[in-house]
Amino acid sequence: MNDKSMLLSRRAFLRGTGVALALPWFESFAAAGPGAEETPKRFVSVYHPDGVGLPLKSDPAWQDWSWFPRGGEKDFELTKVLDVLEPLRSEITIYSGLSHPAARQVHGHSNADQYLTGAPIGGEGPYRNTISLDQVYAEHAGDFTRHSSLVMSTNGGVGGPRGAQTQSFNREGRPIPAMNRPKEIFDMLFVTSGKDAAARLARSKSALDLLIDNTRSLGRQLSSRDQETLKQYLDAVRDTELKLTKAQRWIDMPIPEVDTRNLHLDAEPKEARLYFQTMYELIYLAFLSDSTRVATFQLGRENGEGPHDLLSLAVGLHGAHGLTHEVKKPDGWKNLGTYNRYQAEEFGRFAQRLKETPEPTGQGNMLDNTLAMHGSASSSFHLSRNYPIISAGGKNLGFNNGRYLKFGKGNEDNQAGAGIDTDAGWTAKVEVEELPLAKLFVTILQRLGVETDSFGGYSGTLSRV
Amino acid sequence: MKTLTITVLLILGSACLAQPVDGQETHITLETAKELGRTKSRFLKETPADTKAVDAIPAANVDHFQALVAPLLNKSCLACHGSEKSEGRLRVDQLNPDLLTGPDVERWREVYNVISNSIMPPEDAPDYALDDVDRGNIADWLSGELNKASLIRRSSKVHSSFRRLTKYEYNYALQDLLGLPYALANTLPPETASEDGFKNSSELLQMSAMQFETYREIGLKALKRATVSGERPQPVTYIISMQDEMNSAASGKDPKTFDKSDESYRKQRNQPHLFNRETGTGVRFAAGKSMPQPEAVAGQTPPVSPVVLVLTRSKELKLDLDRFLPDEGIMRVRIRAGRSTMNPDEYASLRLIFSAHTSNNANFSQVVSERDIPVTESDGNPQFIHFDIPLSDIQRNPFRKLTTTFPRRDEFLHIHNVSNASGGEEQLSILIDYIEISAPFYAQWPPKTHTDIFIASDNKSDEEVYGREVLNRFLRRVWRRPVTAEEVNQFMALFSKYRPGFSTFEEAMLEVLATALATPEFLYLTQRETTDAAESPAIISELELASRLSVFLWSSIPDDELLKLAEQGKLRQTDVLTNQVQRMLADPRSKRFSQNFVEQWLGLDRLNSVTHVTDSSLREAMHEETIAFFDEVLKHNHSIMDFIHSDYAMVNERLATHYGIPKVYGPHFRKVSINPQTNRGGLLTGAAIMTMNSDGKDSHPLKRGVWMLKRILDDPPPPPPPNVPEVDLTNPEILKMTLKERIADHRNKSACISCHSRIDPWGIAFENYDALGAYRTQINDKPVDATSELFNRQTLAGMDGLKNYLLTDRQDQFARAMVHKLTAYALGRPLSFGDRADIDSLTANLRQRDDGLGDLIQLIISSNLFNTK
Repeated sequence: MNDKSMLLSRRAFLRGTGVALALPWFESFAAAGPGAEETPKRFVSVYHPDGVGLPLKSDPAWQDWSWFPRGGEKDFELTKVLDVLEPLRSEITIYSGLSHPAARQVHGHSNADQYLTGAPIGGEGPYRNTISLDQVYAEHAGDFTRHSSLVMSTNGGVGGPRGAQTQSFNREGRPIPAMNRPKEIFDMLFVTSGKDAAARLARSKSALDLLIDNTRSLGRQLSSRDQETLKQYLDAVRDTELKLTKAQRWIDMPIPEVDTRNLHLDAEPKEARLYFQTMYELIYLAFLSDSTRVATFQLGRENGEGPHDLLSLAVGLHGAHGLTHEVKKPDGWKNLGTYNRYQAEEFGRFAQRLKETPEPTGQGNMLDNTLAMHGSASSSFHLSRNYPIISAGGKNLGFNNGRYLKFGKGNEDNQAGAGIDTDAGWTAKVEVEELPLAKLFVTILQRLGVETDSFGGYSGTLSRV
Repeated sequence: MKTLTITVLLILGSACLAQPVDGQETHITLETAKELGRTKSRFLKETPADTKAVDAIPAANVDHFQALVAPLLNKSCLACHGSEKSEGRLRVDQLNPDLLTGPDVERWREVYNVISNSIMPPEDAPDYALDDVDRGNIADWLSGELNKASLIRRSSKVHSSFRRLTKYEYNYALQDLLGLPYALANTLPPETASEDGFKNSSELLQMSAMQFETYREIGLKALKRATVSGERPQPVTYIISMQDEMNSAASGKDPKTFDKSDESYRKQRNQPHLFNRETGTGVRFAAGKSMPQPEAVAGQTPPVSPVVLVLTRSKELKLDLDRFLPDEGIMRVRIRAGRSTMNPDEYASLRLIFSAHTSNNANFSQVVSERDIPVTESDGNPQFIHFDIPLSDIQRNPFRKLTTTFPRRDEFLHIHNVSNASGGEEQLSILIDYIEISAPFYAQWPPKTHTDIFIASDNKSDEEVYGREVLNRFLRRVWRRPVTAEEVNQFMALFSKYRPGFSTFEEAMLEVLATALATPEFLYLTQRETTDAAESPAIISELELASRLSVFLWSSIPDDELLKLAEQGKLRQTDVLTNQVQRMLADPRSKRFSQNFVEQWLGLDRLNSVTHVTDSSLREAMHEETIAFFDEVLKHNHSIMDFIHSDYAMVNERLATHYGIPKVYGPHFRKVSINPQTNRGGLLTGAAIMTMNSDGKDSHPLKRGVWMLKRILDDPPPPPPPNVPEVDLTNPEILKMTLKERIADHRNKSACISCHSRIDPWGIAFENYDALGAYRTQINDKPVDATSELFNRQTLAGMDGLKNYLLTDRQDQFARAMVHKLTAYALGRPLSFGDRADIDSLTANLRQRDDGLGDLIQLIISSNLFNTK
């Protein structure tokens, strides 16, 4: 298929999706350079705080409300917590035995900060984080799209040290503010005109022109050997110019028009169902229009209070954080499991939507080209171990789904750390061996096309994934 | 004549080697060794080599080689380095004797090193021994040819000093240019160190688009920080009077009041409390809450109050400042404080910590004061101590602007007493009666940083004229040279383009100035080709010399005085240059030189990557010691041989405790005399060196040996070959061995011996120092065995033996290594073979001037190398 017919088909296809996405910008898209015409590789990570329910085997609730599946790699059996994902069974992978070594001795509530970074942020004192997984990929893929990444959370902003309200951290380890109002996210994606950006760009261009002139005149006064050194500077300026030209392209290009009739852009977290679905829909639209290929979404913040704690209203329960503390009360495990089930259900709905949408380039469906992760930085009760992680999609990236992958040693039935219900539970000594989650991150990065063999100081990939 | 000198030297050297290895040598004191070793210097015997390029192009003396040298080499070397065996992959018979055009110069240099250091032929091969005359013949021919080759190479020198400023130099340059004392360049990527360990090496200072963009961002941000707009902002001011606090604490619910005469007073007084010195009553007070006072004016001196806050050692007052501190600007904290007792051996100082506790498990705290400030006055005559904290640079509570109360919005300032006070009846406390916190603080409005850019002028109303004035001044400082009208025009044209987009002249101009900060002439150290026929084409201009000087000694751009002298063409006058160097070394900015050079020379970065130092004050003291020691030698023009050994040490209380040196009190470094029993003196025995060359649990002789060869003797061992066999720690026989035996066992494997026998003995001599550099005489109940034998059969009896050997026999090598390292740093480029003659000449001059470090700096600066491209 040549470029033009491919683009035509993408356009024609999008018209038929019912989201009424008008895409006049595709004509110029063909000029966007390498990477742009290829099928996009996408990454999204969804984080939920407070971990999941892990009753002891001896507890009657174990059968139904333990988060991790029972059984082996292929023949696993989902409990009631994740049975909502059964229709997507062949599209998902569930992981156990993974955690960030640097965080194992830190209270789970301090850990949303390092779920995607693996940094040794510690539990108190000075605070320093490192780049997150999504931003490593955004550095790689960010130039192909209007927005290098879409960073969202229910609470918005950056939160506080060890109380993050964003999952994304830049190269310097600084938090990237998350957006939490659907209307603002929508406007950023599909409305903002970028007048300021245009003016800034024009200024930069004039500055670069001056710098090139200035450098040339300096170069004429240098020895030929020193001119070689100076050439590196000139190349850097020229590369920057190229980048500006690309940015200019986005500014000149009309923003995709999206029909908002079915979007509830005024939804608030306390209307949990509507809000969740709207936020997921925005990620979907951002991916569909190729406005970005990278997204993170944090559901609430660790340690309760604030808007996210009302998310459990969706299943008729009050105080999401409180659910983790009340597991030993009547129906405690069930209530926590019900809330986790709801989180999985919304994630599944999003994955299903991607699956039902054929990839505009004709390469399978959108889910096949998207790796969607869902997880938390603690399992049972504040314990920074055995992160409960699900991934969906990514078939075309090399992910072989329909499996339950157990890593590490000594915790095959996920009973280490199960049944904890005291606040000091996180300090419990855990003897089991777990693998660094960063190894999964390396696998993900490589499959997304980033040439790297390490993340956060850990090298090597995760076998069997 | 030359032959004779070298022969004399060799005889002296051999005589020394011939001494029995029964420890007799170590009986001479290190001071005697210094003197004895000095008399052996070849640099003191030869006239300094003529380093100016010779007129006639020198030719290789191959005839002499064939006639005299080749037969000697054949006789003494070929058995191991010939067609039968070629140990070290060296075949002496295949080396091209033309050093000037042939490819084997580097290998010949190795031959020269082993012959002249009497390392080869090995002593245990008497059949191949060289007598001193023969040895001298070989060495003399080689040294002559090597020197000629060096001179030839000069005209096609490989490395240039044209380079980008390093990250830290750029940071200092920006700080000095704009008058901003903050870390401005943290977002730049770190630099890579060269083989020599230097981060300012031209070859490695790259530039990428991402880095270029970062420079632009940093430049604009720094300019915006240096300038202001609009009216002077109304500061937020908190006043904490201990009298008022006592009044409200005493009237509060359940006040924990007590009296000096109470039984419990002994216990109470160790907790932070308010105390009325007139009445003798007190109340517990460790945390307070303060709100800004709209009417308050900062900078007051109220009468001293009888009520004071009492902070004993390690105690603090935690002040809740709620959520009213501004986002940016300086927070000035003024504290009136005095000491309760005046014992000169005790100190007490203030430290500021900033924190927030936003929700359970989501908290942070951070020391925000750059250094602890000692309280020196008595409480009868209290002093004001102030801290200036840049609010935009510290971790703030991100929730402070929430309209809801959760997560919590408050920010806390802790006033902490850092002290060495001991307990007892009359213990040293800090007494505080008044605290003032005000932000943003401006000493004047507009601040000097602003008026330095937007200078006073009668032409302010005419943007065209005033713009040129601003640019002319700014560009001169940025480029470190006078600026032409055309150059200013170019920037004015940019200004005209920008102006319509901004409401004020200043806003538009800042964008233009930011562009100037991204020009290569700011970011690079330039050296132009001269068009002046009267100038030698190789000489750098005086303006370039000014920049080279300031980057060398200040890690930054020249100040106005240097720039003016260069503009007037006076800088190169001998007395002017000497005076300027003295002035620069006396300036506090020269501390940057000591710090950056020492860190890179000794490779101190490694101290930050070892994990076994758990006491951060010890780690800091170890690090600081090396720099303080270098600084001391530099400031007093002491001999560089003091780096090998000195009868003094630079310590503070923490480090003195570690070293077992008594009666050193306080956190500042000072010079103390030491005796041999201290087992310190010089740099080699510094705890930093031992600690960073350890494996986390114990000493690491190999690392220490490599360090010694690389950093001190400038004789780096080759990198380990591939497929080195690991020491098999599962072997029970090996597990039983001591560390030294294990090393010997490993070394004796044929694959390892050639390198390890050059490295290990140096490291084993350090064995009396543990993984933290503490002196020890036992390891696991066995006496320490720190005696080793070098490749040339020289015995090193521990650290004393090693120092003794270096001082007796290796002074020249160390002096030359030091000259090499300092010159490479000064030039910002790796030295090549072509610089060899200049380095020799500098070394000779240094040795003739009694090895003074200050003299060496002057020598380097006035050298040919420093003044040419």
